[in-house]
Amino acid sequence: MKPLDLARKLRREAAFEPAALDRGKAVLMAAIRQEGQPKRGPTIVPQVPYEDVNAALAFLERAFGFREIRTARLVSRDGAIDHATLAFGGSLIGIGPEGHHGAISPKSGGIVSQYISVYVDDVDTHYQHAVAAGARIATGLSDYVWGDRPYEAHRTYEALDPEGHRWRFHQLLREVP
Amino acid sequence: MNSPSDAEVIGRSLDEPEAFGLIYDRHAATLLRFLGRRVGAEVAEGLLGEVFRIAFERRKTFDPSRATALPWLYGIGSNLLLKHRRGEARRLRASARMMAAGEGADRRASAAARDAHLLFPRVADAIEALPDGEREALLLFVWEDLSYQSVAEALELPIGTVRSRLNRARARLRELLEPGGESRVRSR
Repeated sequence: MKPLDLARKLRREAAFEPAALDRGKAVLMAAIRQEGQPKRGPTIVPQVPYEDVNAALAFLERAFGFREIRTARLVSRDGAIDHATLAFGGSLIGIGPEGHHGAISPKSGGIVSQYISVYVDDVDTHYQHAVAAGARIATGLSDYVWGDRPYEAHRTYEALDPEGHRWRFHQLLREVP
Repeated sequence: MNSPSDAEVIGRSLDEPEAFGLIYDRHAATLLRFLGRRVGAEVAEGLLGEVFRIAFERRKTFDPSRATALPWLYGIGSNLLLKHRRGEARRLRASARMMAAGEGADRRASAAARDAHLLFPRVADAIEALPDGEREALLLFVWEDLSYQSVAEALELPIGTVRSRLNRARARLRELLEPGGESRVRSR
């Protein structure tokens, strides 16, 4: 007998349940379906009202680096933007005409009732980019520490968009447990 | 009409994931038998879906110059089997006992055949004692009848490495057939 035949003779078939192939296929098909599902977006999406949605959209892209998801845009019969969605990092904001959903722009309302915090990788570069694009700076770049221990150190600035919404940009410098 | 090659089907599945189901339909029975020979029906049935789920998730990495996906699937299965070494060893030793007790005990069998069959428990031990890479190459070659080229694709090795692994495995088994082989194997 040849040496490899010794090993060959130890080959023994297993007896399977008739449904074994179906069960294996179910595992594969579940994986296939899971991949096909649309990725879930963020859980919270701020909606920001503007008098001039087109101008706001252009500014947010140019000054802050947000990117409109063009396929998500809603346009009214007269061609005006009813709603636009912008992505930044893993997050989204929506913008639309003031008056919808009871929301008004600081430009007509005269007050800012909230601000939005945005985390960036390099806040200095972001700041220079925003200033160059004409953003008004409400609070210049500065470092902050929150908490005792644990504490977080951030570098931040605050900018106003053309209608006065306040945006606070943060870079997380370190987290000390 | 020619049916599309595995490479074409996998290529299509990048845009249409459901197309990958055809790869299952083509090869699942072969993979199930392969896994069953190694670890028995129960564990094999559990591993089968895993092999194809992993293949599906890695389908971008499939080399489209290979017409058939079978060696690639064998390779994924071989990797999964590494976590089931104990069950594999149990099954191999049980097979060896059956061989020794069955045909080997037949009085009509020639003396040489009886001796050969009594060898099987030691053959099982020798296979078990092989390094993982040699044992895997050996069993793909002799149990699954894969070519050197297919074993090389399955284990992602150069064909020369497959050759040398099989030669080493062959040499270990040859010791068992030689006079005095028993003591040499035992002393290992």
